[in-house]
Amino acid sequence: MEIFDPNKNYGLNSTSFQLVRKENEGKIHDAKFETKPTTFAKDAFKRFCKNKSSVVGAVIIAFLLLCSFIAPIVSPYDVSNGSTYIVQKLLPPKAFKSGTGFWDGVMKYDHIVYDQDKECPADFTSHAVKDITVGEEEYTNTASKYAKGGYIELHYGTDSVTKTGNGFLYNYKDFKITATDSYVAKVVFGDVETLDDAKQTRYRTLIQYEESFETKYLEVSPWSSSYGEQSFDLSSTLSANSLTSLDKCKFRIELEDRTDGDFFLLVQSINISSSNTDVAEELASISFTDANQNALIVKNDNGTFPSNYWQSNIERYLYHASIKYCNFTYDAYDAVFGDNERIIGETLMLEYVSQGLCDYDFSIGPSSFVSKSDKCPVVSVLAQEFDAATGVNQLRTITTYYKYIGLKESPKYLLGTDKNGHDLVTKSLSSLRTSLLVATIASAVCLAIGLVWGAVAGYFGGTVDIVMERFTDILSGVPWIVMMTLIILLLGNNIITFAIALCMTDWIGPAGTTRTQFYRFKGREYVLASRTLGASDWRLIFQHIMPNGLGTIVTSCVLMIPSCIFAEASISYLGLGLQGVNSFGVILSENQVYLKTMPALVIFPSIIISLLMISFNLFGNGLRDALNPSLKGGE
Amino acid sequence: MVRYTIKRLILAVVTTFIILSLTFILMRLLPFQKPIGTNDAQYSYYMTQVHQGFVVDFAVENKSYGELLWKYIDSMGGRHYFYQTPVMTQYFSWLKNIFTKWEWGTSTYVMQNVSALTIIAKRIPTSMYLNILSVIWSVPLGIFLGIVAALNKNKPVDHIISTSVMVFISVPGFVLITFLIWIFGYKLGWLPTQWAKSTDGDLAKFLSYIIPVFVLSFGSICGYCRFTRAELCEVMESEYLLLARTKGLTKRQSILRHALRNAMVPIVPAILAEFIGILGGSMILENLYGINGIGDLFITALNAKDYNVLFVDMALFTTISLVAGVILDLSYGFIDPRIRMGARK
Repeated sequence: MEIFDPNKNYGLNSTSFQLVRKENEGKIHDAKFETKPTTFAKDAFKRFCKNKSSVVGAVIIAFLLLCSFIAPIVSPYDVSNGSTYIVQKLLPPKAFKSGTGFWDGVMKYDHIVYDQDKECPADFTSHAVKDITVGEEEYTNTASKYAKGGYIELHYGTDSVTKTGNGFLYNYKDFKITATDSYVAKVVFGDVETLDDAKQTRYRTLIQYEESFETKYLEVSPWSSSYGEQSFDLSSTLSANSLTSLDKCKFRIELEDRTDGDFFLLVQSINISSSNTDVAEELASISFTDANQNALIVKNDNGTFPSNYWQSNIERYLYHASIKYCNFTYDAYDAVFGDNERIIGETLMLEYVSQGLCDYDFSIGPSSFVSKSDKCPVVSVLAQEFDAATGVNQLRTITTYYKYIGLKESPKYLLGTDKNGHDLVTKSLSSLRTSLLVATIASAVCLAIGLVWGAVAGYFGGTVDIVMERFTDILSGVPWIVMMTLIILLLGNNIITFAIALCMTDWIGPAGTTRTQFYRFKGREYVLASRTLGASDWRLIFQHIMPNGLGTIVTSCVLMIPSCIFAEASISYLGLGLQGVNSFGVILSENQVYLKTMPALVIFPSIIISLLMISFNLFGNGLRDALNPSLKGGE
Repeated sequence: MVRYTIKRLILAVVTTFIILSLTFILMRLLPFQKPIGTNDAQYSYYMTQVHQGFVVDFAVENKSYGELLWKYIDSMGGRHYFYQTPVMTQYFSWLKNIFTKWEWGTSTYVMQNVSALTIIAKRIPTSMYLNILSVIWSVPLGIFLGIVAALNKNKPVDHIISTSVMVFISVPGFVLITFLIWIFGYKLGWLPTQWAKSTDGDLAKFLSYIIPVFVLSFGSICGYCRFTRAELCEVMESEYLLLARTKGLTKRQSILRHALRNAMVPIVPAILAEFIGILGGSMILENLYGINGIGDLFITALNAKDYNVLFVDMALFTTISLVAGVILDLSYGFIDPRIRMGARK
């Protein structure tokens, strides 16, 4: 191989070279592009559209946005705050006519307590109950308005705090006993040997009375263990103790204190009667025949006990009261909007008559009622009552409720109503609008602050960064709950307060992302090259580094919108609550308690927020790829 | 590096101190929460407060201290008028109590007159068990799924994993727990709908762990999976991996020895930070499922305005997050010297 020798003449001189262009041929220009130049935005849009899932995400977001703006306008249901619609609260979802068997607002209920007096399920409207099957009598140990019979279980546990000697039970209200008339206490004891490791104990009966401020006792019967129905002669006890009468007596049953574990005594009924008919009523008010009812007795409002209260020093439970349960289907819409008993005034009736809906003559009374139109709310008149105080007649009628409130047909709430009686769909979508609006404004503010903050911190680094980072550390470290509480105390509990509180801390997220992006890119060769060429800090930040990091930054900011809704829901869950505000987070947290009974109330808003989060994530990812300049032009 | 480490640690301590001070002062600006209960209990609470320097006790009325908190005549016939001391005086008393006696205040509501530290200490184990259980299986599973997805990039397996990760990472935690309780608790009846009580059997206790652990781990499984996939995909396209293949390594060798090691660089610090986080508790999860952890304690204390307990709880959360942040930043530098957090321009 030949080595280049500078002294050797290779036969090259200036004439061996020829200029590509001569000076007189004009200046050198770039050739004009054959194709149309594309802008950054156009290119980004093109690349975004290629990402199918992101487009789907964007479409879903657009759809939800549209719904949230249109639904409250189009929907026939009013969802403003107030208690106007409380009567129709918690209705099940209904989309089709009743009787369709599917999505028709009819719900099946199993094992509901049966009200034996009203002959319908307890706390349900009877005319809307269908296909009812009442079960056999069952036993319950919980006192209930709808249970009957049972025993009072006097339970004396070994760990009872109040355990002082024998257990007792006596009547709260005193009565008078005389030896001349016969006074008999009939007690029915239950006979069960053991109950949850507790043993049946012996009992004795006493007459308790007051003499010169001292409580004294007369034994009626000694310790005994014979149960079932027992009679105790109180008047003969008196004569045996050579007393003629006692004024303030109580009938007292004592339970023997046993040291070998828990013990109990069952009492079904106590009936005190006398041959003196004058005191029969008084004695009857002290006696009780139904243990369940006696167990339900609570203090009067003024703190005193009613006359049929029986006092005891030990725990009292109910044992084996009988109760019935039933299974049935229930049309909640019929119960609310169907034919219900209602009192209407004279003026209203006259109005109906003048509209030609029906005929009614107040001088004749209920029998004169004739319905002349389908639109007439009144189905029949039960009674006419004259109110002397106001001087007008009042009518007790059967009225169709939906006609009464001026609706053409019984409403159908697609997903039911919430606890205020508002349509769930309309309510959710209209609150979504509020929430989205607040979230968008808050994110825009946070983005503006965060971008500048993060850029400065990331670009300059060093001491500037440390100081700025410490500031954000401190700000994000102060729990937002404290800040929120202080701001709420200062500015009041409303949605604007919430937005301000969000803006106070939420810019830290975008600032952090921006800072990281700046650290990532500022050491790159292209930045160094630009700096050596004399580019200013401003130019480096906004022309060179920011566009490269923009994708990630934008993505994190797009995700701020759903996370604002999330934050709002969290606040409501924490009980700090934006009470009375129509916002999505409030709906999510308020309905949580109905998860068991009315799952639709929880599931529907949950699905919407999940859908929103997923779509925003998909949309954000697509946006990040589309805005990444290094992917520009690539396939 | 050593200098930077020391600087970061000192700064972390200073930051914690400033945050706690600020929080303390802000919280003392909120209205004073009067204790509940019998006169004796209230009296002993106020006397504790006087002892700690947050409340002053006068024998006569003293208008210069602002609003009267409580007046009481004790069994000896002595009169007590209790007033709040000025906020900054309270702040210095607070500092003195902590630095000299490690005394963080007593509860007004949750467990009256019990030290807030004791209450927190009682609640931590529950939250910690839950977090440990979830970390133990979610980290390996997340990383494994991420590796599988990255190695099968753009194949059906990857699409399935990536889509489900996307769905689950987007769904908020409270929605997830709601659905789990609804389906497995109410509809199918397999799992309890509430956290087991201390009186429940072992099986019920075990079953009640399932939903919370599941909910807690979903987030981190998805996070690690996505993180691992992204990192590994980037590494798989790098030149040095191509070199490794061309110099004759099998695919398996090149992935295990080169790709995975480098992909793990940003993941390991995240795992370290996660372990710091096991001390914390998830507020909404604990509240919805009725778990007696420190997240639930926070909500209880907040609603009852039991500020001392609330404050210690917040201090714990703040410290955890700051320590985790420091460890995250430092470990980046240790693991990959190319990254210099805090470097000048």
